[in-house]
Amino acid sequence: MIDPTQEVAQFLYREARFLDTRDWMAWLALFTEDAVFRVPAWKSEHDITTDPTRELSLIYCASRTRISERVQRALSGRSVASIPLPRTQHAVSNVMVTHTDASATVQANFTVHLFDLKKKDTRVFFGHSTYQLLRVADDWRIRDKTAVLANDYLPTLLDFYCV
Amino acid sequence: MSDRFAAGMLRAEIERLVDDRPEAGVFQVHRDAFISEAVFALEMQRIFEGTWIFLGLAPQIPETHDYFTTTVGRQPVVVMRDAEGTLGAFYNACRHRRAAVCPLERGNARVHVCKYHGWSYDSAGRNVGIKGVQHGAYAEGFVREDHGLMPLARFANYRGFLFGSANPDVPSIEEHLGDMRAFLDLVAEQSPNGFVCVPGNVGYEYRGNWKLQIENGVDAYHFSSTHPSYIGILNKRRAQGESGGSVYAGFSDAELFRATMTFPHGHNALYGSNPASEARALNAAMPALRQRLGEARAQWLMYTRNVTIYPNLQIAENASLQVRMLQPLAPDRTAMKTWCLAPHGEAPEALQLRIRQYEEFFNPSGLATPDDTVNYEDCQTGYRAGFDFQQGYLRGMGVRNPQRSAAVQALGIHPIAGTEGTFDLGDETVMHSPWREWKRLLLVGAK
Ligand code: FES
Ligand SMILES: [Fe+2]
Repeated sequence: MIDPTQEVAQFLYREARFLDTRDWMAWLALFTEDAVFRVPAWKSEHDITTDPTRELSLIYCASRTRISERVQRALSGRSVASIPLPRTQHAVSNVMVTHTDASATVQANFTVHLFDLKKKDTRVFFGHSTYQLLRVADDWRIRDKTAVLANDYLPTLLDFYCV
Repeated sequence: MSDRFAAGMLRAEIERLVDDRPEAGVFQVHRDAFISEAVFALEMQRIFEGTWIFLGLAPQIPETHDYFTTTVGRQPVVVMRDAEGTLGAFYNACRHRRAAVCPLERGNARVHVCKYHGWSYDSAGRNVGIKGVQHGAYAEGFVREDHGLMPLARFANYRGFLFGSANPDVPSIEEHLGDMRAFLDLVAEQSPNGFVCVPGNVGYEYRGNWKLQIENGVDAYHFSSTHPSYIGILNKRRAQGESGGSVYAGFSDAELFRATMTFPHGHNALYGSNPASEARALNAAMPALRQRLGEARAQWLMYTRNVTIYPNLQIAENASLQVRMLQPLAPDRTAMKTWCLAPHGEAPEALQLRIRQYEEFFNPSGLATPDDTVNYEDCQTGYRAGFDFQQGYLRGMGVRNPQRSAAVQALGIHPIAGTEGTFDLGDETVMHSPWREWKRLLLVGAK
């Protein structure tokens, strides 16, 4: 039997891989239609916003359609901020899973190295993510991904491939 | 303020950076204005430490003993609310040997104890303790000296917008702001209780000159070519039967009214109609606003308004209500701090509409602003190209009449000049006033 923590970790690695290979249609397919993808803003040195209805997020997408708009924009050739797209590499670690049969709550750390091809410059984004996963057949789907970015003084911009 | 270390640029050298000859149809800016270290040093001294600078917003520090820290030019500053609720601005530098007294971006403290040698200050900036003063064998005169935090030379609060100047020799804030007060009033009066800052910090840094942001804030010309990916998303939402959730849904250059205005002291403004007014967060409150403020002011609230209060404040009310603060770090580096404002007590649905549009349009992690910012960075690279002048300030040169529309008269303001037309006009003369003030300030004290 596969250890469920291992199985979920493998799922997160696959998600990271899709992001880094710009296989973004496959990445989108990991989300449920009603998925929420959020990068909350910080309120102070050590307090993060928690209520997106009354507080700002850096990114807030309340459906897969909203997430897919970001992907389409990045791929459209009509966004100068996305030309050329950077090379990224996600490292996912410290995976902790609270698991039931139908769903899982997952905590994981992320470190994303990004190489800006125009500036010839490397940036790092790091933080931790909380996922709500739903079981579908023999796989998982993301119902919620909340990525808390520790270094929130942004270098020009931030997009979905940075977390 | 000392000019001892000034780069020593001569009057003629500064003069030639802005070639301003309207009667000949000429307005051009030399690339050195964007890349020269000497120019940047002068800008710090004569603009950012020489005139009124936007510091932040009173609602950031609503409670007694609240404070926030910021900079005026290169100088560290703290703005505090004292026990009586009075605001004050001080250098965030201990009188003993200048260590920072307030360590946080925002905090609350009745007493601030300097961590180096333990001098302490209250929230009104008064010194309330010098560690071991009785054992210090100080000479007599020391006791009689003031040891409080050094106040910033000038400080003013206009309806929650806080300004300060490191230079005491500036006009009153009323004179400096002039007609721009009307635009701050339009923000402040949206609720009888003023405005709030939506919680959530947004800060970023771009690799470009600060004046690129000043120019872009009132640049209608860029919108359709810089933001097609954003417009495309909104159009798609509409086609799929969603409202679009954005004031820019259904954007079309030709159908939108746009007017520009310039004012003394480098300020300017752009205003006009929205493609989808129903998506404005204020829309639901309009009947009440009409009743309270009258038809003319209510109309002004519904207009898209992009305003520059020179040199480091921009207010944009279109997709949402944004306040931007610019902090130049180097000729090719600028820090941006931005706030989403909302009228105090806004209804939850309206507030959500406001926040979502803010995130999508204004955030550096949104669908529009990154395309602006990366364009600035590309321009910054372009300033290295070895031709002196660019051709980017000439749209609208053929209009050149003072803007005295009914709307302008109703607001009681008197712009120096302006244009009116559709979005297609993409007026650039609106950028002349910041450049003229730039030159004027740099020339103060030049030989
Ligand atoms: S520097 Fe503050 S007490 Fe010495
Ligand atoms: Fe823009």
